[in-house]
Amino acid sequence: MKVKIAFWITTLLLFAAVAYISVTTVIQPVFTKNPLPKAIIRSNPEERKKVGKDEIIVPDDDTIQSSETGGNTKDAGNKLLEIRRKEILLRSRLTLATEDSTYLVLDLINNKAILELKGIPLHECRILRADISNSIKLYPADALLNWLAEPFVLRNVEATIPKISFVEKIAPKDTLEANKMVTEPKEAKLGDVFVVMDFDRNLRLVMSQSEQPDLDGLKLISDLRRKYSKLEISRSLKALTKFNREPVKPQIEIVIPKSDATILYKALPLNPRMILRM
Amino acid sequence: MEIEEKHNRSFIRIIIWIIPIFLFSLSILMVLYTPVFQDYAFKVKSWFASAPLYEGKSPETIQKLSLKSRRNINSTEEKLEKLRPVKPYIVVNTTENRFSLRNVNGDTIRTGVCSTGKNELLIAGNKRIVFKTPKGIFTVRNKQQNRPWIKPDWAFIEDGLPIPSARSAERIDYSTLGDYALEIGNGYMLHGTLYQRFLGLPVTHGCVRLGDKDLEVIYNTLSKGSKVYIY
Repeated sequence: MKVKIAFWITTLLLFAAVAYISVTTVIQPVFTKNPLPKAIIRSNPEERKKVGKDEIIVPDDDTIQSSETGGNTKDAGNKLLEIRRKEILLRSRLTLATEDSTYLVLDLINNKAILELKGIPLHECRILRADISNSIKLYPADALLNWLAEPFVLRNVEATIPKISFVEKIAPKDTLEANKMVTEPKEAKLGDVFVVMDFDRNLRLVMSQSEQPDLDGLKLISDLRRKYSKLEISRSLKALTKFNREPVKPQIEIVIPKSDATILYKALPLNPRMILRM
Repeated sequence: MEIEEKHNRSFIRIIIWIIPIFLFSLSILMVLYTPVFQDYAFKVKSWFASAPLYEGKSPETIQKLSLKSRRNINSTEEKLEKLRPVKPYIVVNTTENRFSLRNVNGDTIRTGVCSTGKNELLIAGNKRIVFKTPKGIFTVRNKQQNRPWIKPDWAFIEDGLPIPSARSAERIDYSTLGDYALEIGNGYMLHGTLYQRFLGLPVTHGCVRLGDKDLEVIYNTLSKGSKVYIY
């Protein structure tokens, strides 16, 4: 009898715990919060004056919502989405091409990562694998456009390789010392690449290499992965007391060759911008 | 018979404890792997997603919006086209120490190895001199054949030599830059090298060194005003 009571009490308590945890950490953030905030379309008053009637205007949602409803076909809607997608991509490209900074174009339709400057593709590489969070993949296509409407701006980045590494050298006192310092240049060893880039509008881009990392690289990569999972665990634990958890950052993980990953990471400026095509 | 029944009962008792054990494990897993559970929850959420915004709109409205978007696409494409270089240009990859010479259509004419900045910080007393190739977009400002190199101060500091006066003949070096040099501003150049065996390695003080044959083609292809993209 005692065992029976203990069983039921334990089961009920655990059931309540599971329900509470699932509501707090999973159901509430997923069903009540938007993981993909709308982009704020930047408008340049000078550009507007210059361009006049041909100015690029993205039809805002209000226009669409207030328009009359009728018997249109699904195909026409899909076609419009396709056109809007292209329009947004080109508009973002133009915005970044007018600036003097290198930017990244992540084309998940053609599986390409392109490094561009002033609209000129500098480096292009094939994305071998792309894992996209369900929060992005299954987001309504038309609403997704509002999220993609502007280039993403990098907020934080962590990587297993340095962006730039300088060798410090003390100037020689005389020619004798200078001759001793001369060494034959060698090809620098490429470290294993794993980069976590947090952009605005809640996007996380993870870039990893397709090649198997060596032991040191494996340690660095798993340390970085562990750091981010620890952060999520602490957020979940906090949410249990505060009953308020943000949805996990929508994530895109791309796998590209090591050499390309190194080039992309090193070539991008400190606060790069990115255009996402999907 | 009785023994068997007792056996069965104790077996069921053990089995039934799996339920709380499962619940306990589930609660722990949910905290440890919240992103995975949330990802599945998004899948469930998508089953209840509302109809697309454009669905239910009149064909006229959709047509109007399409037309507007098409007009924007055309004008944006025109503007992007205007940004394209009007002369052949060169793209330099400082990570791999490679270059690609392209024509106005963006087609590659020639690729090859080069040498870029060694990313070194030379400390000389209070002075700190950085040897790195700048990244970005540059313009060929001047082209010269057999251009002498006017050695800057760091060239003497690096060799442990006393710095001569600004106009000293010691500063003039006729061999280092090779046959051709293309200036891209701030003292940086695309030029030849005496150390052909180091091509493909980051060994320069910031300039881009090229092999003799590549340099000749580049010199003949690029003109004043041509763009140089370095990344």
